[in-house]
Amino acid sequence: MPTTTRFARLRPRATWPLAALLAAASVPAHALPSFARQTGDDCAACHIGAFGPQLTPHGMKFKMGGYTDSNGKNDSLPVSAMLVESWFHTKKDQPPADGPNNKALLQEASLFLAGRLGEHVGSFAQGTWSDTGRRKFTMDNVDVRYTNTLQLAGKDTVLGLSFNNNPTVTDPFNTVPAWRFPYMATEMAPGPAASPIIDGALAGQVGGLAAYGLWNDSVYAELGGYRTMGRSFLENVNVLAPGDNLDKINGVAPYWRVGYFQDLHKSAWHVGMFGFDPNLKPGGVAGPTDKYRDIGVDASYQFLGTRKHVFALNTAYIHEKRKFDASFDSTCTTPDAPCSQSGNVNRFDLSGSYHYDQTWGVTAGMFGVKGSADSGLYSGVSVLNKPDSDGYILQADWTPLGKENSWGAPWANLRLGLQYTGYTKFNGSKNNYDGTGRNASDNNTLYAFAWAAF
Amino acid sequence: MSHNPTTQLLRLLPLALLLAAPLAHAADAGHGAQVFAEECAECHSASPGKNKKGPSLFAVAGHVAGGVPDYVYSDAMKHSGITWTADKLDAYIAAPRKTVPGCKMKYDGLDNAGARADLIEFLNNTH
Repeated sequence: MPTTTRFARLRPRATWPLAALLAAASVPAHALPSFARQTGDDCAACHIGAFGPQLTPHGMKFKMGGYTDSNGKNDSLPVSAMLVESWFHTKKDQPPADGPNNKALLQEASLFLAGRLGEHVGSFAQGTWSDTGRRKFTMDNVDVRYTNTLQLAGKDTVLGLSFNNNPTVTDPFNTVPAWRFPYMATEMAPGPAASPIIDGALAGQVGGLAAYGLWNDSVYAELGGYRTMGRSFLENVNVLAPGDNLDKINGVAPYWRVGYFQDLHKSAWHVGMFGFDPNLKPGGVAGPTDKYRDIGVDASYQFLGTRKHVFALNTAYIHEKRKFDASFDSTCTTPDAPCSQSGNVNRFDLSGSYHYDQTWGVTAGMFGVKGSADSGLYSGVSVLNKPDSDGYILQADWTPLGKENSWGAPWANLRLGLQYTGYTKFNGSKNNYDGTGRNASDNNTLYAFAWAAF
Repeated sequence: MSHNPTTQLLRLLPLALLLAAPLAHAADAGHGAQVFAEECAECHSASPGKNKKGPSLFAVAGHVAGGVPDYVYSDAMKHSGITWTADKLDAYIAAPRKTVPGCKMKYDGLDNAGARADLIEFLNNTH
């Protein structure tokens, strides 16, 4: 879900920089039987473990090709659906106002327009109803593309344009915020107070046009620009409720990405960099802006072999410099406003997975957030006024379908998963991080999900 | 009986060639199945009647190109006139777009001649 923030539920804010806090509640979902019906390929051809969104090189190329590749028949409807039923348990209850505990719910029910719309035009557009939000059908991730292939310096070159609503949703690699592990997570449990703004804070609220290219199946580059969409539109598609705060991008916020990619068939790897530089007008009010400068480096490796034993490693590090020219209050008297005009927040993610027979999977991930202290920005959530958080995520999953001879192929797929998130530091400290006696480990969360796609 | 070393070596030459021959060309269908899984299976099935983005390769050896039912071929492949002999398969797997210019297979080719031979042996056994 693009707009609801864990922290926003924890502590609702009014008009100051909400984007400074974590908004990474957007959970990717990208395992669509409509793509399988269109291509004739199995889910396992494009996704590690036979279920999305973690892409194999084959899936990356399908995405970079604008979702248009097909078996030539072009007789399938580009429509899919998805259901996620889940249950979570946090070690210690949150304050009742911040959310329930031990709750089973219909986490997501999504419809997709996903697949080839024409020879050069393809779409991945998702609408979602969720029991975790306002229980309305909401515009979710949108990525509509135009692509063409030509020869440049004697090599195949894919060139494309993407209209989308989430910086990094266009990315083909499994490392950036929109697509990194965990690929499904509860949105109800507490999460750290801060993360770089590229980590989903503006997802769904912005519209962007990006141009990208893949040269010789190896060099990837993308350049895009984002603007905040109009309030009335965002209310019509239920991204915003009347009265919700909306920070607006001043002008156009540039997004860029470069990567070097090698598909060796038995293995694959990539290294890359990306960045996003929005200037935000808090509450859309004209005047000075809050400036965010995000830059990330990332890398991945996959051992694919005969696909019987598949290993994958994904990592990214993001550094964000912030300058709160609009919202900072040097007197530290405005509630929740930053007391420092400038600061930074950095995030590190690393995950490794193993899948056996494209069916049984285990994944271990670790994450760390570290940033400058601010007695205004983090007051109330961190007794040390720090955003620093560290933790790990362990997941085991079973995907019985999605292979060549699976039951229901290519009409149905299913993943059952069990996930545990542990925190060794939360909002600045291990113990009593909020001054009320709550420890980091009190937020440790067990999460079970059944994820079906049709 | 001659004790000339050269003559003795010449007498052993046929035996040496006989022993070396299997080493030079020992197509291994089992390894070919692995190569198929590594290089081909995302787009092709070796099962009869199962077309993916590429056509089923079941019993492809000896058949005319473009002949798998219910598969939409490129014009280039349909009109190539190729019969899939071992030599033609080898050339196509090594350099698809050089062998059939205009074909739609997005594969850059398999350089390893031994792996190609094993793969072709595996395909020969799918019938």
